[in-house]
Amino acid sequence: MATPQKLRCRAQKITDHGDHVYTVDLVPERPLPRFKPGQFLHLTLDDYDPSGFWPESRVFSIASSPARRDHLKISYSVKGRYTARMEKELHEGRMAWVKMPYGDFVIQDAGDVVLLAGGTGITAFIAFIESLTGVFHSSVYLAYGARKPELLLYRESIDAKAGANNGFHVRYFVESGSRSPELFAGRLSLEAIWNKLKDPENTAYYIAGPPAMIQTLTANLLKKEIAAEMIKVDAWE
Amino acid sequence: MTSPETVRARILDLVRQYHAAKYSSASFDPAKDLVHYAGRVFDEEEIVNLVDAGLDFYLTANRYADRFEADFADYLGLSNALLVNSGSSANLVALTALTSPKLKDRRLKPGDEVITTACGFPTTLNPILQNRLIPVFVDVNLGDYTAIPERLADAVGPKTKAVMMAHTMGVPFHLDAVMDLVKKHNLWLIEDNCDALGSTYRGKLTGTFGHLSTCSFYPAHHITLGEGGCVSTDDDELARIARSIRDWGRDCYCAGGENNTCGKRFGQQFGALPFGYDHKYVYSHIGYNLKVTDMQAAVGCAQLRKLDKFIARRKENFRKITRLLKQCEDRLLLPRATEFSDPSWFGYVVTVKDQAGFSRNDLTSFLEANRIETRNLFSGNLLCHPAYQDIPHRVSGDLTNTDIVMNNTFFIGVYPGIDDKRLDHIRGVFDRFMAGERAS
Repeated sequence: MATPQKLRCRAQKITDHGDHVYTVDLVPERPLPRFKPGQFLHLTLDDYDPSGFWPESRVFSIASSPARRDHLKISYSVKGRYTARMEKELHEGRMAWVKMPYGDFVIQDAGDVVLLAGGTGITAFIAFIESLTGVFHSSVYLAYGARKPELLLYRESIDAKAGANNGFHVRYFVESGSRSPELFAGRLSLEAIWNKLKDPENTAYYIAGPPAMIQTLTANLLKKEIAAEMIKVDAWE
Repeated sequence: MTSPETVRARILDLVRQYHAAKYSSASFDPAKDLVHYAGRVFDEEEIVNLVDAGLDFYLTANRYADRFEADFADYLGLSNALLVNSGSSANLVALTALTSPKLKDRRLKPGDEVITTACGFPTTLNPILQNRLIPVFVDVNLGDYTAIPERLADAVGPKTKAVMMAHTMGVPFHLDAVMDLVKKHNLWLIEDNCDALGSTYRGKLTGTFGHLSTCSFYPAHHITLGEGGCVSTDDDELARIARSIRDWGRDCYCAGGENNTCGKRFGQQFGALPFGYDHKYVYSHIGYNLKVTDMQAAVGCAQLRKLDKFIARRKENFRKITRLLKQCEDRLLLPRATEFSDPSWFGYVVTVKDQAGFSRNDLTSFLEANRIETRNLFSGNLLCHPAYQDIPHRVSGDLTNTDIVMNNTFFIGVYPGIDDKRLDHIRGVFDRFMAGERAS
């Protein structure tokens, strides 16, 4: 992990997806440190004095590509006091501080991988998905669930990548409002993709999303006799 | 009331004035001034940064250390650079990292062998011994003072697991041969790049070939933090292990004064500890505390901006000294680069030839008496020093040239503080010695 850097950023664009879910594009004042897809940042709304201590902050997966060192993207859902404050205060043009990169939720694409994403948990996978090229020797399965179709974030870029890569397979799940056949109705489930996997025991599973979803999917995978070391979770306190 | 920012700006302006008053008129009087073999070269920016960091009074590594690590990693084109308090510490951290249990069956274990040279600085060797590994010594070429490439393959035995060598005096060792060996035998490679910051091999910076590399920022080196060093790697796992070893051996990678940057401080299981034991106090290695202060890093940030200029000056001084000593080649072996390399020279290394008619000490005594600093090529042959006479080791072949270095070799400076006036003085003193004059 590269040494984390603290950078002042300007909120360039805020996208309101509805249901208190937002995507924020940030422009840093100086080039970003190197990072890897799947890593995360800390964001604080308070002004930070570099000679002092880091203020209260929250962690968010970095959804932008590591290839760009002049742009950051995160998505968040209002879940608690701090994200409520972000919804209220983080507007376009507003400055915020980030420190990054952190985390080892880095996808090893040596073999087949399954990405299990719930809600804004998809952000942990977006930089990796964007890095997929046409030449791809193993398979990547993405199972991605949200409360309703409008909250399937980054769907356009995911579909574009799936269209361009034979080895990248996507299955969407929505809990309500499903109007098209490509969206499975109901919560994200392993069963819906299980028979597509060539060699489930030798596949690596990456899970990002709400804690309850992580817990349930992890338990299901263990029940299916998947070795614990093949299961990686993006869990924060 | 005056704001702290205003007072700070005033102080820093005074620092600039102080620098101008104290350091701007550097003159050289050959009758009384020394021509140092190395030294710090700086301007007002270093002192301003130093005071600025002092005014922060964060003391431990903070914004300047973060900036230096990012900029230094960028300079090398690697993902990770970790500041430590010396080049020797960098070597200790780098080699100890390879003993980490996190590396499973690839870890170095006591009794494993590490290929190195005996002709160098002790702290390239010490971490090998401190980790109960066995050094395997290979002789060096005279002229470039790096391992003889043909000898390296012979040095590999069933227990050989790593190569740890220095790019001696800025000269890249034969990286083609070393990399072939590393790949063929699946060895670890640590480049001790302490003397070679800015050197290239086939156009690629040294310090970027190995699994890990180290650098020193002692004042004699290409840039200085006073005391300081760096461990660099493109391997995130090795970087995390190295950071742990640098920072007391702890598993947590939060910087000083920070908490829960991983977001899992109270939610993990480690060893036999109760679940959720505070990650800040979980230790995955038997580590050290080898960190720098932010004041050191602040100086380093200013120095790093001058690095390209410093390297150019070192190369220029090297060329000039070669021109003035060319006429002595019948008696002195002048330094040379290895094939495909472009050294960022640390010093100008000279070996007195057997038929010279004078000894190394005759020449260095004369130079010293005339205020030109000299240094032996560090240890000469480490195995002859009191501390190393009984160490467990293996010698591959013989160390004939290493012994010649011990007896006949020394170096003078090429650092950017050596200007044309000093070079003129060096020329004059060498001329007098070669004409037969000796120290009384």
